[in-house]
Amino acid sequence: MQASPIDWNTRNEALGALLARVALGDRAAFATLYQQSRAHLFGIVLRINPDRAQAEDVLQEVYVNVWRAARSFDAALSPPLAWLASVARHRAIDSLRRRQAQPVMVSTRATPDADEDDDLLARLPSEAAGPLEQVSDAGEAGDVSTCMKGLASVQRQSLALAFYQGLSHAEVAEHLGQPLGTVKSWVRRGLMALRECLERQRGGAR
Amino acid sequence: MDYSRPELADRLASEYVLGTLRGPARRRFDALLPSHPALRRAVARWRGDLMPLTASIPPVEPSERVWEGVQRTLFASGDAAPVPWWQRLSLWRGVSGLATAAALVLAVLLAQPPEPQTPIVVVLNPDPSAPAARFVASVSADGAALVLRPLDGFQPTAGRALELWAVPATGAPRSLGLVSSSEATRVLRTRLLADTAAFAVSVEPPGGSPTGAPTGPIVSLGRVQPL
Repeated sequence: MQASPIDWNTRNEALGALLARVALGDRAAFATLYQQSRAHLFGIVLRINPDRAQAEDVLQEVYVNVWRAARSFDAALSPPLAWLASVARHRAIDSLRRRQAQPVMVSTRATPDADEDDDLLARLPSEAAGPLEQVSDAGEAGDVSTCMKGLASVQRQSLALAFYQGLSHAEVAEHLGQPLGTVKSWVRRGLMALRECLERQRGGAR
Repeated sequence: MDYSRPELADRLASEYVLGTLRGPARRRFDALLPSHPALRRAVARWRGDLMPLTASIPPVEPSERVWEGVQRTLFASGDAAPVPWWQRLSLWRGVSGLATAAALVLAVLLAQPPEPQTPIVVVLNPDPSAPAARFVASVSADGAALVLRPLDGFQPTAGRALELWAVPATGAPRSLGLVSSSEATRVLRTRLLADTAAFAVSVEPPGGSPTGAPTGPIVSLGRVQPL
């Protein structure tokens, strides 16, 4: 297992060079890219789809997709790890939709009661004391984590549920026991506040 | 929706990256991305902003089968040589996608009384990307032969022949000889491979493939699945 948390910026430099070679059809570079990113991407997928067998199928699709789409990756637009993580998240969310389309019902939720929010919070990485603080000096990762902590708690909760567990607006609303419109607006305002915070930080660094 | 409005484009991009844009809205957005540089820039910016949040997720090692599956899917044919048709995944997908059509064909056939003891083992569907021919392969009543019947009159180009292949799960297909496009052809069971995973029919020069491997287009392909 690789060290946790990852150093976002260092990792991106290495992956950028590899991805450029993968785009040219270099299989050795692809194997190295896989070795260096698989555990990170698998962690992301497992958070969204905790079924290990399904998550491994998703991960396989992710790398097949990465090989085929490597040529379309534009390093000038976003860092390689951001692109890889995006591919993984979208595929993982799609796999949830497929699972829900199947007749077998899989419920990971407890019956709604007073303890639900506590249980939920315990599962949220952004609420845990550890992980986010650990990345506080990992470059960009630190920036956005710091900004997450500065959000109003309802915004932070809504964003974390959508981001880490891949929940839709409606599912977040159900989890938090709030009207859909309210949750949508928390998510929207949370995203806006994050961006403003990031811009302030970057402006201050210059 | 007017995607050229910067504010709206940015809002949609943020929800797309967060993952809360779902269903038809997500599909529309996906379809628009290639032709809208402004949308792509907005998406890339949100990715750069939000994805560092994944740095706090503890990494988990996947099992070996993931990488094996990736390689099998992408490089099953070995080197950079073109992928032989019998290993092309899309072909297999196409075949399974035709399951409904196959079921209909079977229903029609079963409604006709001809040889009641004959279990039908496989319907050969046309390769969607090639001229179509449909066959039903079944085991003869005495169990000694595979009988291949054309379902509709597919005529190969004049001067060409149809050749039947047994395709093993791994390795190259093996010729089972020429088949007729207009009447039933019997193939002795002793010639079948024990591990035959599928049958295929290809268009070949008169007398059959000169190389021992299929050379012409595959007009029919069916996975073996006993009923």
